[in-house]
Amino acid sequence: MSDERAVPGWLSVVAAVAGKDLRIEFRTRSRSFTMAGFVVLVGVLFNFSIDQALVRPQDIASGLTWITLILSGLIGVGRTFAIEKEDGAMSGLLLTPAPRDAIYIGKVVANFILVFGIVLLTLGVFGLFFRLDYGNHPGTLLLVLGAGALGFVALATLFGALTASTTLGESLLPILLFPLLVPMVVYGASASGRLLAGRPVAEVAGQGRMLAAFAVLALGAGAALFGQIVEE
Amino acid sequence: MKARTGWLGIGLAVLGVTGSVATLWMVFFWVPTEARQGVIQRIFYLHVPSAWVAFMAFGIVAFASAVYLWLGDERADMAALAAAEGGMVFTAIVLTSGPLWGKIAWGTYWTWEPRLTLTLLLGFIYLGYMMVRNATDSPERGKRFAAVVGIVGAINIPLIHMSVYWFRSLHPDPVVLKPDGPTLDGDMLTTLMIGLLSFTLLFFGLMTLRYGVERARHTLELRESA
Repeated sequence: MSDERAVPGWLSVVAAVAGKDLRIEFRTRSRSFTMAGFVVLVGVLFNFSIDQALVRPQDIASGLTWITLILSGLIGVGRTFAIEKEDGAMSGLLLTPAPRDAIYIGKVVANFILVFGIVLLTLGVFGLFFRLDYGNHPGTLLLVLGAGALGFVALATLFGALTASTTLGESLLPILLFPLLVPMVVYGASASGRLLAGRPVAEVAGQGRMLAAFAVLALGAGAALFGQIVEE
Repeated sequence: MKARTGWLGIGLAVLGVTGSVATLWMVFFWVPTEARQGVIQRIFYLHVPSAWVAFMAFGIVAFASAVYLWLGDERADMAALAAAEGGMVFTAIVLTSGPLWGKIAWGTYWTWEPRLTLTLLLGFIYLGYMMVRNATDSPERGKRFAAVVGIVGAINIPLIHMSVYWFRSLHPDPVVLKPDGPTLDGDMLTTLMIGLLSFTLLFFGLMTLRYGVERARHTLELRESA
């Protein structure tokens, strides 16, 4: 008896992988809860680490937001492949004829939705804690953080798959990831800092383009090389 | 080690060492002292060639890594490993000579000067490359992982370069590769060029020898498992 069902298309693989990851997350809520808790608590620690007689929290909020994105992202994305290791789920996924780059993009989509949700929470929490004013260009600010989060997730998903198969595990992830995140932090923190200070959108157009270029490069490299990492 | 690889490596290394000694002699006894910075500027003739080799070596790592992933040829991986180890040595020289020079010229060991920052990050990418190689259960997997790290690092270096430049620039502007020709004094340029040539030869000598050792070990492993 042969199974005549056609191999699904590239986009349906992406949707299936992303849907599966999001469904697991929605049912267990394990990563989103730890990440959300992390964001709130790190906001509390940041608050007590700033001597408000010397620095206004608003002045450094942009940098803190990006650092929070990176650290909470590490917690979330680092777990992606640990989940797959249980019960050999990844091996099962790789036995299917699904293209490797589609599996990667699917994972990136799910991780991006998770990380972007955390970014929104960060903006909310920090806005409350540090009395930030998003009045001027909230849409552009979200676009900037979204582009940065996409580049981050693209690299973190690739290297997360890599470190999950090493003996050092997730502790290796920051060593591989942080040097490559410098462009994202430089352009991202500058752009969001200026937007938070109420500067015009035209002033951050260049940074926005570089963030987009960073995300595109990271996605391209990840899609091309992911197959090399998951191969047994 | 194959005799051919061994002799080529020794030949290149001898040339490189001879050239490096000659460069040192020129730096200490021959080249004129730079007018504004004085004696400290002489570190330039070691600093710049080391930086050149460090970045060239990473180019080789990335290229050899891509060839390894593409063709699966063990020799490409050995070349990448040999280049990475050599590159780390020269990165360490840049990161030592830079701050020493900076302490006198700028008054501080460390500044977020773009090229210094980029070299520090390059050093960490090399570190990640070496750590990943040794952190897997199967050596074959370690090689593939390292190759991925090397390639992604190389793709990102131009962006990192642009971003750190954009962030801040304090460093002297380039004095050799400029559209209207070098502005460096003739004797200084000669010293720099001999330094560049010697360090490059020395690097290739070390890399060839390291590559030979790796091939020999590979052959030995094949014999032992046979």
